[in-house]
Amino acid sequence: MVVSVSQSTRERILEAACDLIAAQGIDEVRIARVAMRAGASTALVHHYFSTREELLEQALIHSFELVGEGRFPDGDGEVESATAGLASAIRECLPEPGRPHRDWVLWVELWLRAVREPGLRPVAARLYERYRRWMEALIQAGVESGEFRSGVDVAATADLAMALLDGVGVRALIDDPAMDVEAAHDLVAERLAAQLGVEAADLKRVV
Amino acid sequence: MSPRPQIDHIRKPQLLAAAAEVIGERGFGSTRVADVAERAGTSPPAVIYWFGSKDELLTSALTFDEDRFDGAITERLAGLERPRDRLRALIEACAAEYDCKLWIELWGRALRDQGAAAARQGLDDRWRDRIAEVVRAGQELGEFAGDDGAEVAAIIASLLDGLAVQATLGDPGITPERMRDLALSAAELLLGCELPPLDREALAPGGGAT
Repeated sequence: MVVSVSQSTRERILEAACDLIAAQGIDEVRIARVAMRAGASTALVHHYFSTREELLEQALIHSFELVGEGRFPDGDGEVESATAGLASAIRECLPEPGRPHRDWVLWVELWLRAVREPGLRPVAARLYERYRRWMEALIQAGVESGEFRSGVDVAATADLAMALLDGVGVRALIDDPAMDVEAAHDLVAERLAAQLGVEAADLKRVV
Repeated sequence: MSPRPQIDHIRKPQLLAAAAEVIGERGFGSTRVADVAERAGTSPPAVIYWFGSKDELLTSALTFDEDRFDGAITERLAGLERPRDRLRALIEACAAEYDCKLWIELWGRALRDQGAAAARQGLDDRWRDRIAEVVRAGQELGEFAGDDGAEVAAIIASLLDGLAVQATLGDPGITPERMRDLALSAAELLLGCELPPLDREALAPGGGAT
């Protein structure tokens, strides 16, 4: 299929753009460097993306849609319990070295852009909405299985979880000495355990 | 060998206010020193004379804004006696001024610039200390549970930051009211103490300080 060939080139360019945005910040990224990294000509990059802005916006969207697929799967995965599922969800949302760290840098770049560019706001809103539904489903599952306290305000607990994760995640990302990924995980686990009526130790343990 | 620029007619606060405005509108990356100079009605050399670099301009502008917020908080808390009222007032003030555009810029810079990282740490520590001070006072009085003021402050500060990001992005799920309510109920659960609305008497100048 011709489409899949051209899509893979497009994806290669987007991946290259994501790497460069994460390494240098969005303002430093030039089309020529993206092209070089993707092993394409600048003309080819321009064939897919008519402007630099369009390329950068599509790169951010691309990154989070991929993260979204991993992080916010539509079907329910195989987890032993809702508590274990929530524990690994907490961990997936924090900037561990490697891919999660890169995605977190892009997450902050998205904040930076979306604050100012009205065109990106709906993108950010959609991603947060997806994030919220995923978090609510994880909590709801524990309420239904009887692991979490009945009568939990699922929506409020999901909002609390997301806000805590963003707040501690950004501190871990920028190497706050008081908040590495472990400390961030523990803090979120303790707060959610208190809300949900489970042992904090069970939310701290990631299998 | 450049002469000392003509700066006598321009004061530093005006430059900082201009910098906060322009960076807020255009973002740090797209802000040129010349844009700030133009907004403040001065020349780029005058800006550089005061701040040395664009990074310095960002951290100074945010520090300036935080000083203003801190001053307003001090005034607000001066009329409130009880730690639970003071904590509620802190959270309410934060939700009322949820816009954290400049903080987001500073986080972005802190990833790549040591000076910005240090400035971020200093400002964040000051804000956390401000919360911790109120929490400890409540714990000493037995109004709040626990004895871990710094830890509670770290939780509340992180939570407020996360909520402020979504409010700043205009997320329909997190309005400033929702931000305030979520932070208040998390703090209540954390401290085992209700944080009821401040009554008129407590709000009147000097009313709570009897």
